[in-house]
Amino acid sequence: MRALLSRIAALFRRRRLDGELNDEVGFHLAMLEDEHRARGLDARAARLAARREFGGVAQTQEAYRERRGVPWLEDSARDVRYAARGLRRNPGFTAAAVLSLALGIGANTTIFSLFYSLMVRRLPVSSPDELLSLRPSDTRFVQVSYPLYREIAARTDLFAGVIARNSGGRAGFGKTDFIAAERVSGNYFDVLGVQPAAGRLFTEYDNRPGTRVAVLAYDYWQRAFGGNPGVVGRTVDGRQVIGVAAPGFRGIELGRCPDEWLPIEYLNEFANEHIMGFAELVVRRRRGVPVAQVESALTVLLNRYNRQIHSDPSDAYRPKALKQRFEVRQAGVGLSQVREQFGKPLTVLMATVGLLLLAACANVASLVAARGQVRWRETALRFSLGATRARVVRQALTESALIAALGCALGAAMALWGRWYMLSFLPPDLGDSFGSPLDRWVLAFTAGVAALAAVLSGLGPALRFTAVAPAAALRGEPERGGRRRGLRSSLVVAQVAFSVVLALAAALFGTSLAQLRAADPGFANRKVIAITMVLNSRAGQAAQGAFVAKLGAMPGVASVATSQFWPYAARESISTPREVRVPGSERTAQAPAPVEQQDVSDRYFETLGSPLVQGREFSRAEANSERRHEMAIVNQEFVREFMPGGGPRASSAWRETSPTKGCVSGRSLVFLLLEQRPEPIVYRPAPYGDGFCILVAAQHPEALLPGLRREVARLASFGFVREPQTLERQIDESIYEDRLLATVSGCFGVLALLLAAVGLYGVVAYGAAQRSHEIGVRLALGAEPRGVLWMVLRGALWLVAMGLAIGLPAAFVAARAAGAIVFGVRPQDLRLYAATTFALLAAGAMAALLPARRAAAMDPMQALRHE
Amino acid sequence: MALRTFETMGPQHGFGLAKRIQQISGGALDLNQGTLYPALLRLEQRGWIQSRWGVSESNRKAKFYELTRAGRRQIERESEEWARTVALMERFLRAAGEER
Repeated sequence: MRALLSRIAALFRRRRLDGELNDEVGFHLAMLEDEHRARGLDARAARLAARREFGGVAQTQEAYRERRGVPWLEDSARDVRYAARGLRRNPGFTAAAVLSLALGIGANTTIFSLFYSLMVRRLPVSSPDELLSLRPSDTRFVQVSYPLYREIAARTDLFAGVIARNSGGRAGFGKTDFIAAERVSGNYFDVLGVQPAAGRLFTEYDNRPGTRVAVLAYDYWQRAFGGNPGVVGRTVDGRQVIGVAAPGFRGIELGRCPDEWLPIEYLNEFANEHIMGFAELVVRRRRGVPVAQVESALTVLLNRYNRQIHSDPSDAYRPKALKQRFEVRQAGVGLSQVREQFGKPLTVLMATVGLLLLAACANVASLVAARGQVRWRETALRFSLGATRARVVRQALTESALIAALGCALGAAMALWGRWYMLSFLPPDLGDSFGSPLDRWVLAFTAGVAALAAVLSGLGPALRFTAVAPAAALRGEPERGGRRRGLRSSLVVAQVAFSVVLALAAALFGTSLAQLRAADPGFANRKVIAITMVLNSRAGQAAQGAFVAKLGAMPGVASVATSQFWPYAARESISTPREVRVPGSERTAQAPAPVEQQDVSDRYFETLGSPLVQGREFSRAEANSERRHEMAIVNQEFVREFMPGGGPRASSAWRETSPTKGCVSGRSLVFLLLEQRPEPIVYRPAPYGDGFCILVAAQHPEALLPGLRREVARLASFGFVREPQTLERQIDESIYEDRLLATVSGCFGVLALLLAAVGLYGVVAYGAAQRSHEIGVRLALGAEPRGVLWMVLRGALWLVAMGLAIGLPAAFVAARAAGAIVFGVRPQDLRLYAATTFALLAAGAMAALLPARRAAAMDPMQALRHE
Repeated sequence: MALRTFETMGPQHGFGLAKRIQQISGGALDLNQGTLYPALLRLEQRGWIQSRWGVSESNRKAKFYELTRAGRRQIERESEEWARTVALMERFLRAAGEER
C-alpha cells in the first residue's frame, strides 16, 4: 500500500526524480572511475572500466523508472493521450460514435432513474423496511373504518405504531390555489421518525375535532413562503401553521406528494360508523415480528370484526365480508398507485432501452471496425516493432473507453432532459414525486452502462483487427477481407434486428394509443367539466348543497348533474357492486349476480351527451320522491346479460337487495371506460346534489373553469376537493402511460432506425470503395450503371433481409410479452409486421442508395488509374 | 543482504554498498552494479530504508541510505525465518540421509 502511494506520488515528480537518479548514477560512476585511476589506468580507460563494471546505464534507469512509477498507470495515461489525439483527428468518426453511445446511455439513464425512484429507492424515514401497508383484500376498500382502525392500533404486540392516513384530496390553502393535503393521525411523524425543520409536528392531541392546524411540507414552505420561519404560528386560511417537516420528506405515497399535512379528525359525526372509508393504514411492525405473523393475526382480527358488523345472516355482503383478508405489503419504498400502473410500462421501457443500447454499441463497434481496417498497416507495424497483441488490444479498448466516457457525459445530460420530458407526460401531481433527478445509484448505473458499452463496442473489433499477419501487411499484400467484412456485416444485421424489435414496439404502442383515443367512452360531451368533492361533515355537505344549487344558475352553464362516482374509471372499479336478481334471467335464477351501480341525478345522461336508446331520464321530482327506489336505468350490457331475448321492457321488474320496479334501458354507457370490457351497470336515481361527483356541461367550458376553480377551492376547507377539469383532459391524463409508451417507444424506434441506417451506409460505402477497382472494370467493359447500382443495393438489402429474418421472430416474442398493456390491437396483427418490414426496407434502401449511386456514377478510367 | 550491510555499517551510499557486497561475497556475486539501484528503490518503497543526500568521503554529493525501524524489524523477522528454514532443511536432509 505504502509502496503504491509512493509510486503514485512519484508520477508527479518524474522530472526531478530522473535528475536525482542521474546524480546518483553519476556519483557511482565517478567513484568507480576514481578507484580504477588509483589502480593506475588513464582517465579514458578508467571511465570505460567504470562503465563496464556498472553495466548498462540506460537499462538501469529504465528498470529504476519502472520500479519507481506505476507502469500500467503511465501506460494508460499514454494510451488515453494517444486515443484522444486519434479521436481529435477524426471528428466525423468521433461525433458519430459518441452520439450513438450518448443516445444509448442517455436513454438507459433516463428510464433507470425513473425505475429507481419508483421501484427501488427507500423512503427517507427511519428503518423503512419495518413499514407495512395494510389493505383489505377487496380492492374496493383501500381504507378501513374508524372502529377497525382502533382495534388494529390496539395490537401493540404486533406494531410499534399504526398510522391512519387519507390522501388524494386536494385542499385549498389560500383562496384560489390548489394544493395537495394528506390527513394523518397524530402519531404519523413520530412513527415514521421524521423531524421538524421548523416549529413542531402533530401529536394525538391535534386530532380532536375542530383543531385547525397544519404542518407544511418543506418544499411547499420554500415555494409558497420563501422558507420564512415566521409563518410558523401564523394562521393561514383558517388554519394555524404549527411546523414544517424535514426537507426531503414528501409523504409516504409516491405520486401523491402533499404540500401540507392536516390532522384526521377522529370524532366527527362519521367517525363511529362502520364505513370502510376512514383511512388507509400504514404500520411499523415491531422488530422481530415476521410479516407472516402480522398477516395471520390481522386475518383473525378482521374476520371477528366483520362477523360483528355483518351479523345479520340475510346480509348479502356477509359471505364476501367473511372472506376478507388484509393484504400486507412492504411500504418501505412508499405506497404507490403509480407504481402499480406505471411499473409495467417502465419495465417494458427498460427492456426497450436495453435494446437501444445494444443497437448503439453495434453501431459504434461497426465504426471502430471500419477504423481498424484503415489502420491495418499501422497495427501491423506496431506488431513488427514488438508490441504484444494484448498491448494493442488494450490501446484499442482505451479508445472505446474514451468514446464511452464522452458518450456517458453527454448521455447524462440527455438523461436530465429526457427525464423532464417523460415526467411531463404524467399528471402534474404525479410528476413531482420522483424526487431528485440523478442520485449516486443512478450515476453508478450510468457509469456501469458506459463501461459495458465500451467493452461491447470495442472488444470485438479490437480482437478482430489485431489478428493480422504483420509481415504480409507490411509487404502491402491486400488483407484477407472476407472475414473482416463479415464482422461488419453481422454487426449491421444485428442492428437491423434490434431496430426491427424497437420499430415494432413503436408501431404496437402507437396503434394502441390511437385506438385508445378513438375508443368510444359512451358519451359525446367530452368537454363536460367534472368536479369531485368528499366533504364528510354536516357543514361541508351544507356547503356542497349551496354550491350545487348555485351552479345551475351560473351564466354559461348548460346543464348540471351529480353522481355518486365519476362517469368513468380508467382502470379500477370504484363502486361497490350490488347483488341483483332479475326475473326470467337464467344467470340470477340460483344466486344473485354482482352488478356495478351508479347513483345519478336527473339530467345525468343529457349532461354527458349520452342520449338514451329507449325510455327517458328521471325527473328531479322522481329522484327526490320515494318512488326513486322503484326506478333504474341500465346499460346495454345489462340487457344483454340479464334479459336475453326479451329485450328491455319498461314493465319488467327485478330485484336487487331491495325490491325495485321499472326498468328503462340506456345506451351502452361505459362506466368502466377504456381498457376494460363494458360491464352491466344499474343507474339509480338519486337527489340532485348527492354524491361525490358534479358534472357541468357548458358551451365554453374553458371560460367557465377559472370561476369554478375559485368556487371549489373555497369548499376545500371542509374536506377534499379535486381541481375541476374537463373530462377530456382527465381521460387524457388517465391514459398517460399509453401516451408515454407510444411517444417514447416511437422516439426509440426512430433512433434505432437511424442507427441502423448509419451502420448500413457505412458498410455499403466501405464495400463499394473496396470494390471500386472491380466496379471500374465492369463499367469499362460496358456494364450498365443501373446494373452496378442494383448490384450494390442488392448487397445492402440482403443484409436488411437477414436482419428482418432474425428481428421479426424476436419482435413477435417481445410483442406477445407486451400484449397485456396494449389496447385494441393484437400483438400478432400482421399489419404491424408489414409496416415494420416496410420501414426497415425503406430505411435500408435510402441508406444504401447514396453510396450505390456514387459507385455507379464513377468514372471507370479514374478508378482504374487510381489502382 | 543489503539490509544486513546497513545494519553492520550504518548509513551507506550505493557505491559503498556495492563494494561491501563484493567484499563479502568474495566476487562470487559479481552482478552489474547498476542493478543495485532498482533494488534499493524497492526497499525504500517498502519503508525499510530511507535516503537523504549528503557529502561523501571524497567530497562528492551522494545519496546515503540507512535502515529505518521497520527495516530493523524486517531483519529480525527474516533472520528468524531463515533460521527456521535452515532448521527445517537440516531435519529434512537428515531424515533423507537416514533413510538412505
